[in-house]
Order: sequence, then structure tokens, then C-alpha cells
Amino acid sequence: MPLAQQPSSVPVVVDEGKCIADKGCTVCVDVCPLDVLRISDATGKAFMKYDECWYCMPCEADCPTGAVTVNIPFLLR
Amino acid sequence: MDEITEGTSQVDCDILVIGGGTAGPMAAYRAKKKNPNAKVILLEKANVKRSGAISMGMDGLNNAVIPGHSTPEQYVKEITVANDGIVDQAAVYKYAQNCYEIIQELDGFGIRFQKDENGDFDVKKVHHIGTYVLPMPNGDTVKKALYRQLKRARLLISNRYMATRLLTGKDGRIAGAIAVNTRNAEFLVVRAKAVILCMGAAGRLGLPTSGYLFGTYENAANSGDGYAMAYHAGAGLANLECFQINPLIKDYNGPACAYVAGPFGGYTANNEGMRFIECDYWSGQMMQEFYNELQSGKGPVFLKLNHLADETIGEIETILHEVERPTRGRFQVNRNNDYRHGMIEMHISEIGFCSGHSASGVYVDDNACTTVQGLYAAGDMASVPHNYMLGAFTNGAVAGEHAIDYVNEVDFADIDEDFIAAEKERVLAPTKRDDGIPPNQVEYKTRRLVNDYLQPPKVTRKMQLAQDRFAETRAVMENEMVARNAHELMRSLEVSSILDCADMAAFASLFRTESRWGLYHNRADFPERDNENWFCHSILSKDDAGQMTIKKKDVDPYIIPIEDEEKDAYDKQRIKAQA
Amino acid sequence: MSAFEPFEQFDEVDDIIERLEDPDPGTRRVAIMDLADSADPAAVAHLKKALADDAREVRLQIALALGEFDGPDAAEALLIALTDSDSGVAQAAADSMAELKDPASADPILPFVGHDSAFVRAAALRALRELKRPESLKPALDALSDPEASVRSEAVSVVGYLKTEDALPALMSMLKDADAGVRRTAAGALGFSVTGAAADTLAQALSDTDWQVREVAAETLCKVKSATAIPALMQALTDDYWQVRQKAIRSLGKLGAVEAIDDIAPSLDHDISNLRKEAAAAMGEIASPKAVPALEAHLDDPDPDVRKNIRWALGQIRAE
Repeated sequence: MPLAQQPSSVPVVVDEGKCIADKGCTVCVDVCPLDVLRISDATGKAFMKYDECWYCMPCEADCPTGAVTVNIPFLLR
Repeated sequence: MDEITEGTSQVDCDILVIGGGTAGPMAAYRAKKKNPNAKVILLEKANVKRSGAISMGMDGLNNAVIPGHSTPEQYVKEITVANDGIVDQAAVYKYAQNCYEIIQELDGFGIRFQKDENGDFDVKKVHHIGTYVLPMPNGDTVKKALYRQLKRARLLISNRYMATRLLTGKDGRIAGAIAVNTRNAEFLVVRAKAVILCMGAAGRLGLPTSGYLFGTYENAANSGDGYAMAYHAGAGLANLECFQINPLIKDYNGPACAYVAGPFGGYTANNEGMRFIECDYWSGQMMQEFYNELQSGKGPVFLKLNHLADETIGEIETILHEVERPTRGRFQVNRNNDYRHGMIEMHISEIGFCSGHSASGVYVDDNACTTVQGLYAAGDMASVPHNYMLGAFTNGAVAGEHAIDYVNEVDFADIDEDFIAAEKERVLAPTKRDDGIPPNQVEYKTRRLVNDYLQPPKVTRKMQLAQDRFAETRAVMENEMVARNAHELMRSLEVSSILDCADMAAFASLFRTESRWGLYHNRADFPERDNENWFCHSILSKDDAGQMTIKKKDVDPYIIPIEDEEKDAYDKQRIKAQA
Repeated sequence: MSAFEPFEQFDEVDDIIERLEDPDPGTRRVAIMDLADSADPAAVAHLKKALADDAREVRLQIALALGEFDGPDAAEALLIALTDSDSGVAQAAADSMAELKDPASADPILPFVGHDSAFVRAAALRALRELKRPESLKPALDALSDPEASVRSEAVSVVGYLKTEDALPALMSMLKDADAGVRRTAAGALGFSVTGAAADTLAQALSDTDWQVREVAAETLCKVKSATAIPALMQALTDDYWQVRQKAIRSLGKLGAVEAIDDIAPSLDHDISNLRKEAAAAMGEIASPKAVPALEAHLDDPDPDVRKNIRWALGQIRAE
């Protein structure tokens, strides 16, 4: 059986203009307890790869440049 | 990214601590402090910097036993009564005697507790029997301060390794653990003389009403891996039928923290704005009253602050919106909720296992020893009831200090290479399939079944049906589940823990043919408490044939006697109130 | 194949500092974070030197990073950042400085209590409070007459934490301060005085124009053992704010004020159940049979918490 890809609006948003992952920063990826953030090979910026968010906020709180915003996942908003 | 690479490495150590949340760092820190020459490894599925239930800190202590405000004896009494008497008091008493020293140590780490203008701890009065609430206005600094100490102590920290099974020697002693990297699926075999499990609650057991798998009350990373690992290693687990169910903000599913608002004058109210909870303690009885009100014409239930002064509400808001679950504030803004005007709708959480708030956990004695030699447990997954954060710190310290002495007396237990090979095969099985059911679907189904069949009030026939459905789901998990990368592999291993916990929850609940602990073990077809037959612990374990088994265990003789009158404190109050 | 080490590697300071020379401020910033992560005290000197960086975001990162360290060297570096031209950097330095725990950190900070900038003076005092060094008393007492309220408030806290009886007159005078926040802090700070000397001052504070000052005074009065506290608290039972009355009732209870029972009783009928609950609890603390009729008349209060406290109070009285 093939696997379907279902769209899902992810809660964590990264402002690529502010993100300094391309300079070697990995703070948001490191601090996520669910390990859902990654740094994109294409852009060198952080993004939410897996929609498995506890909306706990270390990624936003610890980001040195204020590039990360945690929204409440739509299903419980 | 997250590609699976084959590989195994092995390291040896004196003590392996699994879980870098609250209890784990303290266990590792205290062990290393007591013997700086020992090799202590702290293994963590996420990253110790921000892992565990307190990843964003905590808004206060609610079980601080501080001289001048409460006594260890008072505290032990209250916990005994709140747990309907099913308590081995020694561990609770030890906690109560040690926790003040831990508060002082944490204060020295730079973790802030509320102080009055003379620099003394500003303990808040909650009820007249004891005074246990100590707010943490800068509680967001907890993990940061803790991590700083671990770095200074040069502890060996292994992040992004998920332990999957414990290793035991032929003599039954603990021999170490096997873990898998969550980013590349490489194995790590750790030989250890002692292992301390600090792996948190089983928080991904029930499904939140939102349907979002990760919108759980507990940190969603706490998927009950510790409960499952202890079980498979042959350890006894106590009172698993005593579920955790907590009051929370509806939909947001995080704590409303009425206990934070309490000292300021806020409270839990029904739709008429009136208090309704008769019970004095945070307990299953309190949750039963909460549940009853939710189901009644006076429901739902709310957090009420709108009678307080603007300035006071501002202070509460600052605490609730900056610490522990800071997205609370964002949620309220989305809903156009303002504590000053309306009340905030509350609900109850999905079920879970967590001694932090209730009593179910891996059985431990007052030295945090489990029933397997050399294996310790502390924090939300160990059986010391009503631990909360301070209990995790305190009992973590107890475990670390006991284990560091124990390892002096023993050598490594032998490791069974066949077991390791079989475990690797089990772990990697979902990665060997090109087709099948993804872990998120197996998880959703398991947790939906937990809600349908195990959520109290519990019904015998429903729980038996649950066992049938779980068995079918397990067959799918073992034969059809597919993981396409290391991240999905981690999720598939979590599903295995969740399913183990679901099976244990049903098994333990069916065993105790009475109702106890209020809502936590409310059995619709056995509605009465039966002290004659059931004033005991239940201890679940895996027998030599690999089957789940359960037996009764006597409650240890009390150290602090409880008068008959005190035992029935709530029942009497309720009757009087109705009269 | 190199030996596999599954443990977090905290980079060597010497390797990291090369990146401090990188032309890209983002890269320098990441290097600063790595220095903080190293937890190596040798990093402090490099962080201090790097405060000369042109980029504000790098200096901001340094101010945050210094919070990971302790001791006089870290304090000295923070004091440089505290006077940074950028207010964000200075604020971060102030916050990091308040995290210092090593009492020796106070030495370089003490002279800054006399700094030209009020922001620096307040930050220095805030850091000194936690360090509880006796040497802080003199500069803090001087700062009680600072033109800036924020500085005076921090100074009051420093004095309050030191708990020196000699400083009582100075603290008491702060209840006449023009700023309500300062008066509130001062009222709380008087709680350590067990000789009763502060009781009159706190009693006067019960008629302060600001309700929160009155609330703190009512709360603190039960800590200072003095006969003058009870009549003053009884007077406070007529306060316009129920929150002040609540604290006054609590203090009267803790002081065992039998004479206050008739004055507390009307609160058992107040609309706000918090106040009714407090009144019942206080009567239990006082535990005088005089309170029985009033308590029994309210056994059917609609609020279960109030009922519980009434039952408890009656039990206490019976036990006496």
C-alpha cells in the first residue's frame, strides 16, 4: 500500500531573514524535546520537518535572533 | 537527513542514568559529586538542555516541606490519606525529610524560588493542614541552571539516544542497556554496574480530546518508555490501575494551575462561579468531584480569577504565561480570553501513568531501588506518590547517592550477546519493510482504543474488549509497521512503549475488583471500596515465561500512624455537607 | 577509524576563539554561544575582550553568555556590558549580573552603586541583593536617598536581605517615600524586625494611600511581635479593599487576637468567598469559644471551602 502525504499546517514558523543556521547555529534544533526541527540542505535555514509539536517553546525562547515563532497547533487553537 | 546507518558501539560505565529531564540530571550530578572518579553517563532521547516535563521550567513547588511551615510527619499523613492509605511511607518520609536540602541546593544553582523582602522563602498557605506552595517567579531558569551544573561537573552526556531495552545478567542483576540514535539509528550498548531510570511519565497513553497526538498534558516525549523497559527487565510495577488524570485548560490541554492562582485568591468554579471541590488534597477523589461537576448541569468547570484586583491578575498572568507552558498566554489571546472578564473553561486530561501527580510507577523502596538488583528508578515513573518536580529532584538524588555506593561492591554482570542481537533485530524490523502501516497510525489507533475502553469509569467487559483490540494492534505493529528514517524509527519504538503501557493499564485495572482513588480507579461494576480484600498494592511484572502477571503486596506498616478519623476525612465532610 | 565517542563534546576554548575573528557577525555570534556552552572559566577573559565588537548583536550575545559564569571576573566583564551604548546589551548584562551567586562577585560591583547612570546603580544593587555581603549595607543605605525610585527600591531590598537591626530606622523612613513601589518593598522588608520596633511604622502604613502598600503592611504585621499590631489590624478591617481586610484577618488569626473576633465576624457574610474563608480560618487559629455562635450560623455557607474552614475552626475551638 502506498503512503499518502497529507497536508498539515505546522505550528513552528522560522523567519529565514533572521535565522543564522547557515552560520553554524543549531540552537532550535538542539533544544526541541520532540526533535521535529531540521536545517534545510537547500536554504541552510531551520524549518519544522515533522508536525509533532508540544508547543512548549524552547525553540523560540532560546533562538538568539528571535527568528522562531511557536503558534498553537490548529487542532487545539 | 535522518538516514539509517548500521553500526554499533559499546561503552562501559559505573552508573548509567537514562533520562535527562529532572530526576536524571540530579541523580547523575549527586553520584558524580559523591565519587568524582566514577564514570557516570547521562543518556537522553532528546537534549538535556531542554528535555523532560520541565523543559520550559516550572511555576512553583507544591510539595515543599520547609521547616516552620510544615513538618515531614504532617506531609506523610497527607500523602497517605490522599492515596486512600495505599502508601509505603518510608519513601515518602525520606522525601519529606530531604527535600528542603534539595531546595537549598537548587537555590544555590541559581534556580529562583519566591522570597520575601528579607530573602526568606515565601511559602504560600493553601490549606490549614500544611503549607507547601513555594512559587518560582523565574522558574524558566530551571533547566538552564541545571545544565550549567552538569557541564561544570563534566558529566558524560549522550543526547539523542533512545534506550530501548535494559540488559540483565544470568544472575538477574542489571548489566546495562541498549540504545539507538534517533538521528541515524546507530546502536549504543552501555555496560553498567547500576542503571537509574528517570524516563518520566507515560504521557502519550490516552488521546487528547483535540485529537492531536502530541497535544498531551505531559511532555509528549514522555511516551512511557521507562515503564516498558522496567517491565521487560522483570521489575515490578505498582498500582498501575491508579491512573493519572489532571485538571487542565480545555483544548490547550496544559495545566490551568489553580494551585498557582490559589494563594492569590483564584479558584476552580462551576458555571455558577461557585467552588465545588470538597476534597482537601490533590487526589483521585478531587478529580472525581471535578468529573462529576463536568457531567452535571452545573458544568463545565472554569478557572475563576475575575473577582480579583487588576494588579493581582497581572501577577498571576505573568507567572502563568511565562513559565512551564508559556504558550498558555498565546492560546488565551487566540480565544479572546481575558482573566479579568470571563472565566477560563477547564476540562480533564487524557489518562496516563505518572507518580508525579498520582501513584502508579515502577515499584521502588526508600532508596529508589526497584525489584531488579542494580536497577533504580526516580521521578514521574517511580512509585513514590505525588512526587511532582521536587520529588523527582529529591528522589533522583537519593538514587544517585545509593547507586554510587552500590557500584563499589559489584562488578559488571555478564552480557547476553544473543539478546543484544535479537533486540537489534526487533528495533530495526520496521526499517526493513518497504510497505506497511506508519507509526503515527498505529499510535493513533492504540490511543483511541485507550480512550474508548480504559478511561474511567472503568467497565470490566470494555477492558476485556480493549485487550482483544490491543492484541490485534500489536500484531500489526510487530509485522506490518514501517519506518522510513531514523526519526520515524524513534516514533515506532515509542508506539511499542505506548502499547505495552496500554496493556499494563488494562491488566492492572481488571485485577483490582473494587473502586479506589476516586476517578483514577472508578470501576462502574465494582463501585465500592473494599478494604478487606484490597487494602494492598498491586504489583505487575513479567513472569519467567514472558507473560504478564500481577499479585497483591501488603502495605508496609505505617511509620506515621493515621487515626481512623483522619482516614475518612473526606467522606465525613461530604456527608455533613449534604446533611 | 577514530574512536567513537557518543558524548557531548564541549569545544575547546582555544578552537572557538579563532572564529571570533570571522568577518561575519553571525559566525562570531555562534562562537560566543559555543564559549558559553564550554562552561570553561577560561572563556570569560575572551568574552570580556570581545565586548569591543562593533556588532551590537555580538555584544548582546556576550552579555547573555556571561550569565553562564560566576565570580569576580565574570562580574567585571558584565560591568563593562552594563555601560554599553546599546540599551538591549545593557539590559541583558543587568539580567545576567543578577544571576551571580559567588559572594566574591560583589567586589567589583560595589563601586558601581555610585555610578552616574541610574540604570547602572539599580542593576548593581539588584545583583548585590542576592550576594548578601555586609559591605553592601553602606552603599545601599546611601542609595535610599537616590533621586530615582527604581534605585531606592533595589536599595531597600539589599538592606532587607541583610536583616541588620541597625538599619531599621532607615528602612522605616522609606515608608514615607513618594513612590508606592518603594513603600511596598519597604513594608515587606520590615518583617525581620522581631523587637517590635517596626510595628508602629507598619501600623501607620495601614493608612497608606496605595492599597497594595496597605496589603503588605497588614501581611507583615503578624511577623513583628508587638501589642500595637492588633488594634491597628482591627482598624484595617474597615479598609475599602477586601484584599487588605483579608490580610489583616489572616494576621489577626496568626496573632491569636481574641479581642478581634467580633470585628472579624461580619466578614463571614461578605460576597467574596475568599474573605469568608479567611475569616473562618482566623477564628480557628484564635480558637476562642467566643467565635462559636458566629461560626455555627454559617455552617451552610454555599462555598465548600468556607464550610470546610468553619468545620475546622469549630474543631480547633473544641480541642482547646
